[in-house]
Amino acid sequence: MKKKPLYSPIEIFVLLMKYAKLSIKSILEYKFDRVFITIAIFCREMISVVVMFLILTRFVRIKGWEYNQMFFLYSFLFLSYSVFVLFFAGMRDFDNMIYSGEFDRFLTRPLGLMYQIVASRIDLSAALGHGIVGIILFANTAFSVGIVWNAKNIFYYIVVLLTGAVIQASIFLFSACFSFWTYKVDNLRNMIFFNARRISGYPLSFYPGIIQKLLMFVVPFAFVNFFPAQYFLRKSDMSSYWNGFLYMTPVVAVIMFLLVYAFWKKGVSRYSSTGTAM
Amino acid sequence: MRAYVEFAKKAFQNNIAYRADCVAGIINAIIMIFVNICVWKAIYEDEQAVDGVQFKMLITYVVLAFLMQCIYAMDEYRIENKVRSGSIGLDLLKPINFSGYIFSYNVGILIFRVVLQLTPALIISIILFKMLPPFSLTMFALFLVSMILGYLVLYCLNFIVWISSFWFYWTFSLVTIKDAAVMILSGALLPLWFMPQAMVDFINLTPFASIYYVPITIYLGQMPMEEIAFALLKQLIWVLGLFIVGRLLWRSALKKLVVQGG
Amino acid sequence: MPFIEVNNLVKDYKLNVRKKGLLGSLQSLLVPEYKMKRAVNDISFSINKGEMVGFIGPNGAGKSTTVKMLTGILVPTSGSITIDGLCPYKERKRNAMRLGVVFGQRTQLWWDLPVIDTFELLKYIYKIPEPRYKKNMELFNELLEINSFISQPVRQLSLGQRMRADIAAALLHDPEIIFFDEPTIGLDVIAKEKVREFIRYINKEKGTTMLFTTHDMQDIEKTCQRMIIIDQGVTIYDGTVEEIKEKYGTNRTLQVDFSENVEKIDIPGIQVIEEKGSKKRFKFRKDEIQISSLINELTQKYSIVDLTVQEPEIEGIIREIYQGGIKFDESLCGVR
Repeated sequence: MKKKPLYSPIEIFVLLMKYAKLSIKSILEYKFDRVFITIAIFCREMISVVVMFLILTRFVRIKGWEYNQMFFLYSFLFLSYSVFVLFFAGMRDFDNMIYSGEFDRFLTRPLGLMYQIVASRIDLSAALGHGIVGIILFANTAFSVGIVWNAKNIFYYIVVLLTGAVIQASIFLFSACFSFWTYKVDNLRNMIFFNARRISGYPLSFYPGIIQKLLMFVVPFAFVNFFPAQYFLRKSDMSSYWNGFLYMTPVVAVIMFLLVYAFWKKGVSRYSSTGTAM
Repeated sequence: MRAYVEFAKKAFQNNIAYRADCVAGIINAIIMIFVNICVWKAIYEDEQAVDGVQFKMLITYVVLAFLMQCIYAMDEYRIENKVRSGSIGLDLLKPINFSGYIFSYNVGILIFRVVLQLTPALIISIILFKMLPPFSLTMFALFLVSMILGYLVLYCLNFIVWISSFWFYWTFSLVTIKDAAVMILSGALLPLWFMPQAMVDFINLTPFASIYYVPITIYLGQMPMEEIAFALLKQLIWVLGLFIVGRLLWRSALKKLVVQGG
Repeated sequence: MPFIEVNNLVKDYKLNVRKKGLLGSLQSLLVPEYKMKRAVNDISFSINKGEMVGFIGPNGAGKSTTVKMLTGILVPTSGSITIDGLCPYKERKRNAMRLGVVFGQRTQLWWDLPVIDTFELLKYIYKIPEPRYKKNMELFNELLEINSFISQPVRQLSLGQRMRADIAAALLHDPEIIFFDEPTIGLDVIAKEKVREFIRYINKEKGTTMLFTTHDMQDIEKTCQRMIIIDQGVTIYDGTVEEIKEKYGTNRTLQVDFSENVEKIDIPGIQVIEEKGSKKRFKFRKDEIQISSLINELTQKYSIVDLTVQEPEIEGIIREIYQGGIKFDESLCGVR
């Protein structure tokens, strides 16, 4: 006989809002600091944009990619990261939760572990810092790259943005899961997340085959920005990829999340059999 | 003097403990160099100059800039942590110069990075990326001098930012903004010759070019001999200028510490 | 049927054996080598509803591992745990619903926010009905005076205030069972007493089953009826606090202040342990010598200014147990 679940969907949602309220309240405790951090993150993210801008003012186009198209491609990374960090910042900070003992506390609560991880963190500073960069790029390019913003395109744009955020969340959780086994995951994370993301700033077709394969099938950033952007732009270099990839972002997001979720489950069961991160 | 050598040694040993992290760091650097070269190849494809001298120089620039980033890394939050935990009070009671202690600690990190990160990364880069040798032996010697001065400029600049932790509780924002400025204005990511003249003129008024751009152009033989002397002098002036600002700030920081009772 | 039933609980840890040197660390990365360590070795006990039980043992004895298994944080290697019919690790959430946990060294309160905010959140997490929430808040204020700091951010609270708030937070949903992990660590004497008094009150009024792990024997002595001593993964004592005192606290110390210097005391069965001028301390076993007759004998033979008999502190007994000074007879384990 299946027992009645502890919470109704409405209760789960109300509780999520309560968590969010506390997170926002915490953030507002240090208004000045948060604003300053937002500015700092904005500056940090802008440098790669500025570099690309300077290169493009000198070379005008790269491999058939023009100024506007390049920045439209880039805007996906910032906007979906912003969505990710607004909703799933807990997945990013999850390794710290293990070291600080917060995770043990989660285990003694009547709520799901993933639920608590996601619910307990909102990073407004990072969401704004990245989001503003993304909005600037989007606003400057979206209406000059020949996209007809009809209902269908707007809908697909929102879908790829959200599922792109799920892909990034999965990649982040994947790197964080290693903290169930080893102590320091910083450099690993640099490799599979931040560097991969930086690489994805430029069109996939710029890179040699091995890097393309890695970005498509291992850390699938190609589905966060390259293929979604190609759906709208249809550049000639798309001819070397299977056309179906244009529509695959939501599928990749689901597959990636399920795989990482299984890995995470394995990590949790390891944790509850050792009780330590090591 | 003995004490400072010991601090440097300790920093070296502390870093050795994270060997796996160190290896990952090397791999990261190599990947990023490789990817950057790919992007530049794509950029130059239309210009059909991929085999030209200009392109080879660019590749060498990119490799050098990344390798220098490796060894220019410092412990950005050491002073902040000491201020926040209050252990700075104890440090000031010791019969040592605190700034000297921080400097020797960072020198320890520098030596660690030169030996365990730069050397392997350099060897791999020479084999993989076919970077150009230094323009001449003299230029190489001058490059080394200029790079040391560049390190000192960056160190003095960093020190000013670190000291701000006496006034701000967290320095993350300031450190991040400083890093962003250094990365873009010093030519660490993009050679100054790609930048518009107005921007270069502005950069020439700041200490940033002294950190990456000057040493690398000397290595490439892109700077005429008579300009080199001037560039080195300019670097030296920046070191002294920033050092003095750092000292002044340090003094008022101490005053603040005394007023607050530590 | 007992409220908590633990049978043949075993917990093995897999320890990663790390090799030295660059090659060694690479080797342990590629071909990890493990060593098994048994942290809990066949522990059984049962606890009735409303009992207060203290778990004590030296560091690394396995007591916190046991508690972690009871709270559902860890999964046992073998053996079984049932808490009122539920298995804590198989039905973690359902079990957690009626569980309260206080970690003395880690707060569950939101660090930057006023205490009341965390309480409001807990109200929703544990689905506490408004009237009960109100009633409990009133009770906690009466006993712990939490209203005096309830709207202050947690980071500004003193340790004693924070601990009071943490205990209130863990009890807000009227858990049927509550675990205290070092609930008085770092507190001053008055704050400790306040916390203990509160815990006793809640146990009496609400009949909450309570389990403690602590280093402070006074916590146990003043709150628990029963204690379980764990050492090297096994239960070495399970019984009342009085019992252990009675049975193993057989030594008494007698401190005598003589009016003149006395060379030698000639009474069989007593042992001089300290001599300081005219002051002397003796040790004797209370089952060999009657205190009244000993005092009689002394006062008749010598002229005495002052005299005190000291009972052994439970702390001292426990210390002796850890050091192997006291051996338990089998019969005592698992008295219940």
